[in-house]
Amino acid sequence: MTGSREALPDVDGPGLTLGDRAAIALTEYREGNHQALGELVREATPLLWHTVRAQGVDHDAAEDVVQSTWVALVRHADSIAEPKAVLKWLLVTAKRAAWEAVRKHRDDEKRRTELPDDSPEHPMALPAKDPLPDDEVLREERDRILWMSLQKLPGRCQELLRLVSLADRPDYRYISAAIGMPMGSIGSTRGRCLAKLRTILDEQGDFSWA
Amino acid sequence: MGLTPEPNKDEEVVGDLSFDPKGMLDADDGAVLTRLAQLVDAVDPVPSDLVERSLFAITLAGLEADLMEAAYLDAPLAGVRGAAAAARADDTAPAEAKTITFTHDSLTVMISLSPSTGGRVRIDGWAAPAAGLDVELHRPGADVVTVASDEDGRFSFDSVERGRASLVVRRTDGGGGAVSTPVIEL
Repeated sequence: MTGSREALPDVDGPGLTLGDRAAIALTEYREGNHQALGELVREATPLLWHTVRAQGVDHDAAEDVVQSTWVALVRHADSIAEPKAVLKWLLVTAKRAAWEAVRKHRDDEKRRTELPDDSPEHPMALPAKDPLPDDEVLREERDRILWMSLQKLPGRCQELLRLVSLADRPDYRYISAAIGMPMGSIGSTRGRCLAKLRTILDEQGDFSWA
Repeated sequence: MGLTPEPNKDEEVVGDLSFDPKGMLDADDGAVLTRLAQLVDAVDPVPSDLVERSLFAITLAGLEADLMEAAYLDAPLAGVRGAAAAARADDTAPAEAKTITFTHDSLTVMISLSPSTGGRVRIDGWAAPAAGLDVELHRPGADVVTVASDEDGRFSFDSVERGRASLVVRRTDGGGGAVSTPVIEL
């Protein structure tokens, strides 16, 4: 569905999702074939990156969280009970590590601001949750409208739509589990979020998206 | 009039643009999501070397070393070195020292990266508490280089080629397990 996936070599059969390929990669890794795991790292790192960044983790820390998530996968390769759910395992592991990183960051900030010589006029900024896109990125008016319309949605809807835009549709259930939305409601929740976005977009004018 | 649906009620909106989990997206839904995926990536791109670093980290996972946590401390330096910080934007200014602190349980390792000759990097490190430590430098496709810390916990690698690297720290007396830093970009 995204440009990055289109660029992948066509090693997967039609109908295989990212979640399927993750399961295959883990199974093959257990059998001593590491190649599929390398391909999975290439393919799934963007989804992990944006999952971690959505938790408010700053840039440098997010890189380490993604990296440690992959290390955790190979360390736990033999103990993951359900290879089919390995994508969910990755997303949950990344998200938990992201929360931990945010919590640590806040603790550090708190300690720092409690120092007597710390200037109250210069509080350390919290990591930017929504980096402001510069004009270079949003060259087209259509993109600006899309991005601004997204910002008008509730935070959870924004997170959900960003992540599902990066995934294959049958994998939504893993994303729902990872971001704590009730299983089974992801489709309709996503539908509501997408519908809201479409409504806002339609109010902005008549654009052709297809 | 009282029966007129509120236009902003979720159910009403869904009634118009419903997404059936088992159904198909309409073409515009798909196009909006595809465009959104491109924007998500453009606004906050995945760091270009993150995949390669992750792959190298996976190969080091077999060392059974516990991962240390990193804290990047270049922010405090920025105030002191305003010009250097400003020059950072163009990415070609390796003149600025970068300090990274790694922690695991009670062990803290701080390293400072500074330019060496020939575009290479010098690593000055300091570990606390200052036990006798062996510090291994792992780089993809290169032999492992090991140095020992001095009695104050200091160690250094004089001239290291730029690129991905990870340090693995072991106590000389064999006590405790090995710990490793995340793969960093020198």
